[in-house]
Amino acid sequence: MNNNDDKLHYAFYSGCCFQGADARFFEILEQVFDKVDVKLHLMPEAVCCGAGVIEERSELTSLAINARNMAGAEKMGLPFYTPCSTCYNVISNCQKRLQEDPKLFEQVNEILAEDGIEYKGDCKLTHTLWMLAQDVGLTKLRERITNPLNGLRVGSYYGCHTRNPSDIQNYESSDNPTSLEDILEVLGVEVVDYDTRDDCCGYHLTWPNKDLSLKMTGSVLGGAQKQNVDLMVTSCPLCFKNLDGAQTKALAATKQDFQLPVLFLPELVGLACGMSPQDMKLDWHAVPVHVRL
Amino acid sequence: MTEKITPIREKMLANIRIQRFTPGDDRSSYFDNFKVQVETGMTVLEVLRHIKNTQDSTLTFRAFCRSAICGSCTVRVNANSVLACSTQLLPIIKDFGKASVTITPMANLPVIRDLVVDIDPVIEKLAKMHPYLMENRERIPETLEQESLMSKKELKQFDSLTDCILCGACFSACSTVKVDETYAGPLTIAKAYRFSIDPRDSFRGMRIQASMDQGLWSCVQCRKCLKVCPKDIRPADSIRQMRRIAIDDGIHDTAGSRRAKAYTDDVEKFGQVNKPMLPVVVNGTKGWTAIEAGEAALEKHGLAPTRQVCTLPGQEGAAKIYAKVREIEKKEKAREQQ
Repeated sequence: MNNNDDKLHYAFYSGCCFQGADARFFEILEQVFDKVDVKLHLMPEAVCCGAGVIEERSELTSLAINARNMAGAEKMGLPFYTPCSTCYNVISNCQKRLQEDPKLFEQVNEILAEDGIEYKGDCKLTHTLWMLAQDVGLTKLRERITNPLNGLRVGSYYGCHTRNPSDIQNYESSDNPTSLEDILEVLGVEVVDYDTRDDCCGYHLTWPNKDLSLKMTGSVLGGAQKQNVDLMVTSCPLCFKNLDGAQTKALAATKQDFQLPVLFLPELVGLACGMSPQDMKLDWHAVPVHVRL
Repeated sequence: MTEKITPIREKMLANIRIQRFTPGDDRSSYFDNFKVQVETGMTVLEVLRHIKNTQDSTLTFRAFCRSAICGSCTVRVNANSVLACSTQLLPIIKDFGKASVTITPMANLPVIRDLVVDIDPVIEKLAKMHPYLMENRERIPETLEQESLMSKKELKQFDSLTDCILCGACFSACSTVKVDETYAGPLTIAKAYRFSIDPRDSFRGMRIQASMDQGLWSCVQCRKCLKVCPKDIRPADSIRQMRRIAIDDGIHDTAGSRRAKAYTDDVEKFGQVNKPMLPVVVNGTKGWTAIEAGEAALEKHGLAPTRQVCTLPGQEGAAKIYAKVREIEKKEKAREQQ
């Protein structure tokens, strides 16, 4: 692996959210990050983090497979990057648990030995938010903007899993995070505050309780719509699935009637860096993106 | 020679914006602004008391012990649920970067007046969980003179959960309670779990049923309760554990249990979750509608739909790990039964 260029290199943990139509994001992320001199190296041996759901069967299994995932990045000698907020949450929680409990750390390593793997515990974890706002940096990002998106009113949406609990990340305040707004302002848009910004989109209830999931999604969308935003931007691909993919049903469930385009953060960064809506495959969205970009 | 340390004491004039509401008198809630000189170390409760003593004696809030143990002073500061007595104001002002903070009553509960809410709904939900020990005859001694001893390991399973002070911060922050008032809320399920895994108890089945009746699988795992809990009891983790013991005890026929089984088995089999088939695995035949809609969307973009997830290269290694964990868990169980 050539790390002696001017690029930032990351071990890329994709998680399992980019399946089906969302598989387009592999290519989109690669293209967008290339604009800001970031090179992603797909981790060959990684498996799904289990989204915390595996802990409902066996906590030790969840810890062991995620230590194995981190060991993959350690082996590559690169920081661990995931675009998925839930993967970040689950894997960061695993890292913290193993840091705090030396016995557990030892036990997990005994398990990993079955697969000839050692988890050292020195893996740096990051997410799109902090990769762009801190590693790439706002100065460089600003230099690469060729199509500033001035005049666009945008509702920013973090979702829950890069924020809660506070100790899963030490990049920024979890009560008052600003990385997403910082990035958006560099892209030229006007960030609009709305009262459901900190609410949960309900994605993780899609399977066990769809009705509640749609209520939560509808409520988040309704709050943003009230402030007359042109679109919403989220840094979480799972929130994106709900806010865009499930929007029609969510609005029907909450007796609302409008269409609010929602973009996944890398898409908006790509557009501001001069890529076309076709490059970003915006026509694949469930809710048409009819705004001037 | 030791250097004398002088703590830096900062002062700042801050605007404290407080939600006011008296049912019957006010048509809706409104905000009052108070100017207060906030100093290093000053808690939210001290600020509230200061306002009540010097500016507006009608300001109503609940507080008692001032030691983060009675759990009665929970309010929201800039939308975050906190104990007023153990939360300092200056760090919040600095974090948000402006000399103004907004204090509102706990969310998800009816307001009695100003910052005081009615916590009866929480207590009623908790009462349904049988939050007390029901004796396990095999475990407790015959006479009152003997103690019912527990090993350190047994205690460790639920020790931190006994720290819950029922302050309701998690209930106030809960995403599910916000949209479903019938949902139990984080603390009540955590409490149910605490008693269910106590070796001196025999009421586990009743509590599993009670928590299922109150929406055990409706928790969205937003992890907000972990963030706000002043005692760090990690309610959302207890909810995961409560689901685990429910499944272990034979609750397989809920969408939530089927999801847990699907995720766990799929990662072993394929290295990832078989998303194309998940709707049917979790929701039975009615899941086909979702599958067909997804496939139609793929075809629209010229992609061939698939009903089989591809197996990731890491699957083989993951399967070895699963086997080893199973072996460890089996040994552990055998040891417990001895």
